[in-house]
Amino acid sequence: MRLHKISALAGVSILAFAACSSSGASTAPSAGGGGESAAPPASKGELTLGVSLPLSGGAAADGQPTLKGAQLEVDRINAAGGIGGYTIKLLPLDHAVAGKYNEQQAAQDMQTFVADDAVIGVVGPYNSAVAKVQIPISNSAGLAQCSPANTNTGLTKPEEGALDLRKDFPDRINYIRVAATDSLQGPAMAIYDYDTLGLKNLLIVDDVTTFGKGVADTFQTKFEELGGTVVLRQGAPADTTDFNGIINSQAVEASPPDGVYYGGVVTSGAGLFLKQLRQAGLDIPFTGPDGIVNGSVNDDGSLIKIAGADAAANSYGTIAAIGDFPAKAEFDAAFEEHFSADSDFKTPGAYSGPANACAVVLLEALKAAVDGGAADMAGIREAVRAYASDPANSFDTVLGPISFDENGDTTVPFISFYEVDTAATGGADWVFKEQQSFGE
Amino acid sequence: MTSSTVTAEARPNRFLVARRSGVGPYLFILALTVVMYFVLGPKQFVNALTIGAIYALVALGYTMVYGIIELINFAHGDVFMVGSFVSLFVLTNILGATGPAPDLATIVYQLVVTFALTMSVVGVLGVTIERFAYRPLRNAPRLAPLITAIGISFILQNVVQLIYGPSPINTPQVIPPSARVDIAGVSIGWINIFIIVTAISLMFGLQLFVSRTKVGRAMRSTASDREAASLMGVDINRTIAITFLIGSALAGAAGVVQGLYFGNITSALGFQSGLKAFTAAVLGGIGNITGAAIGGFMIGFVEVTAANFGFFVWAQAAVFMILIVTLVFRPSGLFGQQLGERA
Repeated sequence: MRLHKISALAGVSILAFAACSSSGASTAPSAGGGGESAAPPASKGELTLGVSLPLSGGAAADGQPTLKGAQLEVDRINAAGGIGGYTIKLLPLDHAVAGKYNEQQAAQDMQTFVADDAVIGVVGPYNSAVAKVQIPISNSAGLAQCSPANTNTGLTKPEEGALDLRKDFPDRINYIRVAATDSLQGPAMAIYDYDTLGLKNLLIVDDVTTFGKGVADTFQTKFEELGGTVVLRQGAPADTTDFNGIINSQAVEASPPDGVYYGGVVTSGAGLFLKQLRQAGLDIPFTGPDGIVNGSVNDDGSLIKIAGADAAANSYGTIAAIGDFPAKAEFDAAFEEHFSADSDFKTPGAYSGPANACAVVLLEALKAAVDGGAADMAGIREAVRAYASDPANSFDTVLGPISFDENGDTTVPFISFYEVDTAATGGADWVFKEQQSFGE
Repeated sequence: MTSSTVTAEARPNRFLVARRSGVGPYLFILALTVVMYFVLGPKQFVNALTIGAIYALVALGYTMVYGIIELINFAHGDVFMVGSFVSLFVLTNILGATGPAPDLATIVYQLVVTFALTMSVVGVLGVTIERFAYRPLRNAPRLAPLITAIGISFILQNVVQLIYGPSPINTPQVIPPSARVDIAGVSIGWINIFIIVTAISLMFGLQLFVSRTKVGRAMRSTASDREAASLMGVDINRTIAITFLIGSALAGAAGVVQGLYFGNITSALGFQSGLKAFTAAVLGGIGNITGAAIGGFMIGFVEVTAANFGFFVWAQAAVFMILIVTLVFRPSGLFGQQLGERA
């Protein structure tokens, strides 16, 4: 039932987008509220929290649990009477095309959100390459955007090129994220591989995307600094199906690696890579960033399902967020109860908590905006952005208190380590091992 | 055909290969093969042959259709993709296979049934597509069937997504991937041997069929000059239908092999592999059967060589570089018809 509702909403928003593209972006299209037009200011009616994630196909294993994390908070707020008289509507737009995240679709979705005056903020996106196309749009419009999962360093840090993304308003931060960056995620795994797993000779493959190459670079630098040897570094573009040429290459034959690091996401081919590694008889640890930690053997498109539970054993991955937060047990229980009637994705994913935190941040900012007297839609949107990105504010989220620095990065970054457990209850799944805080 | 339509292209007898292209390309290929063997080593050599065999099987369908009706059948990659899903259906829903078969008899039984059913179903699919999408447009401007082909490609992809969803799906690997054999000290998977032998047998079978049988002669004459052939009593519609039947059945076989080798298929497969197979067909000289086969193997070798020496990112670019260089010196591809002075 929920899915029907989501697709209906998506349908309306496509109509809204069509209307707006025909009449120019400056006009205010319908609020997407199922026919009722939200002429600003809506008389304490409905405000929209957008969600921009890949939600279908192979990418559903990434997007759906993340969406539900945000939905949990919105449903809770609405059950408690909304915010300052407004009820909150969650508007998820799916930018997966043929099962993979698609930057063009994501850019269109962001235009839809920007053009819809009722949208006070957006939770998302999931993939760094998507953030790269969305940030210029949301920055130009001054729409707050909170990503639960983006890790590419260049999205926020000026010295890594973030000013190119927010060049319309370089000093007006609208993009914040609760995930730690790849400048932490890559090196953290390098240390984990070198010290904890005792790997000294690695085969490194990345998927040649913003995220994958970026994190593999930071990983490799740290790993070599520690004294590790990289047997072979290869880029395998996102649609690669045959990794046998890499696995059997002469460099690998000459000095067999004792482990593998894959910089990339599962829709790029991580599952096939792992499967072919095992078939070639290389039962060495398979390690990677959060892109490979995407659900259990029961979830379509997950690494474990594609590679097969047996092949997925001996795999390790990072999550750029706190894995074991104090309220985790309660959060998990609330999540499972709330979505128990759903047909799939009933349990929280690695980024469900962070998505919930993003919703909390944006809605707390909305509360502050409404309390502060912002009445018209443009005023509310700007007030939400200003409040959410203000380094002086701290937000009480399920992950713990969160605040953001002057670039929009979290001040309490964590990296968590996960391992595939083939004996997990309910089928092979990623289980939490340990976490590391990088907060000051 | 009036003389005005003949300017850009002679109507060459594309299926007849060796007579005009000479032994040059064959020697070149032979020399290249030997060099590749020593450069890559036996293991990678087998990898390249395996992946190349799959490309080659798909490329044959492109080249046959182009040879006979001069249509770039953009739906062919998706016919191949449908083949992989039909084989998944046959293996899991009809034969009840879930993974490696327990003994040799079961392996043989499952493979025979899967290949027979998949090739039949996909062959009929190809004929159906030709009958309803291309035949009504046979005398239309060439752009019309081309656009139709792209439309068919989308339809096939979406129908498969409707049934199986857009996520990658695991397929049973009937031949256990761990089953290997030592040949001269090199461990080679049975699956690799199976794929290479199957593909090459099918190619030789096709070559014999086209050059030795009556239907094959009808195909060659239709390719050479459709009107003259029909005046001589060749049933053009039937001959073209048979071409689609064979080309699609080969794509079906490639689909089976894809599932067996990778153990995982997706509805996006058609586009990726289709593009490479199409490139292979052009590289070999589109319209030419031997050329398409060799083009497929060449692309396999380029990819594996790139992977072996650490520039896998550039594999695609390398393939197209080779294509461009080939076309500069041999505009009709490696084995393509050399056009006369007249053009």
